[in-house]
Amino acid sequence: MAYSEKVIDHYENPRNVGSLDKKDPKVGTGIVGAPACGDVMKLQIKVEDGVIVDAKFKTYGCGSAIASSSLVTEWVKGMAVDEATKIQNKQIAEELSLPPVKIHCSVLAEDAIKAAIEDYQRKQQAEASAAEEATGS
Amino acid sequence: MDDPFAILGLPRSADLGRADVDRAYFAALEAAHPDKVAGGDEAARRRAELAAARINEAYRALRTPVGRLETLCRLGGIDLDSSDPKRGAPMPDTAFLTEMIERREAIEAARRAGAGALEDLRDAVEDEADEAVAQARRALAGGDVAAAARALVRRRYLARLLDEIEEAMS
Ligand code: FES
Repeated sequence: MAYSEKVIDHYENPRNVGSLDKKDPKVGTGIVGAPACGDVMKLQIKVEDGVIVDAKFKTYGCGSAIASSSLVTEWVKGMAVDEATKIQNKQIAEELSLPPVKIHCSVLAEDAIKAAIEDYQRKQQAEASAAEEATGS
Repeated sequence: MDDPFAILGLPRSADLGRADVDRAYFAALEAAHPDKVAGGDEAARRRAELAAARINEAYRALRTPVGRLETLCRLGGIDLDSSDPKRGAPMPDTAFLTEMIERREAIEAARRAGAGALEDLRDAVEDEADEAVAQARRALAGGDVAAAARALVRRRYLARLLDEIEEAMS
């Protein structure tokens, strides 16, 4: 199958490959998988003052999945968390010119960023309620 | 939806062996052979060709043990090739997916460790994949399609992991 130039570029020079400390309260981790093909993706964000200051990923899957996650990490850096929740697989697929059979690979990247944000928000809530308890209110 | 078991005249069972499937396949092909059914006219010949194509497709689905189990799940209402949240492949839990990521990372470490480390990893993953298949078979025998589908999804992830280990070995 012919991959678009952008897919090949991200595949050969993936941006932001790596890990962040998943115990850091500022870090949200999203881990998702595509059951039909067995590919897995981990995407992490680091948030400061409501803005995503860093993003990393590790994807074990096809070229389109690697490119999708690489692209998403590039996009979200510097983005407000609220804004990042709006990212949709359609935008990813369009940017990378993915053919219909590879759409599920971009869905994986959308799911991963959503899961990372949810994880971050869960941690923030847990911290907030812990702080509340500590002050006895 | 086509039932490959019915097309080959087999019972819907997880306990069939390759020999049963082969035998049913050749018998079905022979019964559908154009020389037997066609009275020489064009329409009959086309029907025979169509029947043969369906038989071949059914055989492809049922040839392997995993194929038979996945087909039984599909007939039971869960299609592992679909990502539909209700009728498609069930999503494994995060703990399992995390493990899949961590074990990918272990491939690198094993490669550096050398001396059979990759082989050990491969053997372990192969055993787990086999165990997942056995679990699926037991679940189906007990009529639990959902549990069988979960085990078969795990097997798919393990099979992909196995591909990557084998790639690292070559
Ligand atoms: S084929 Fe599995 S994510 Fe692309």
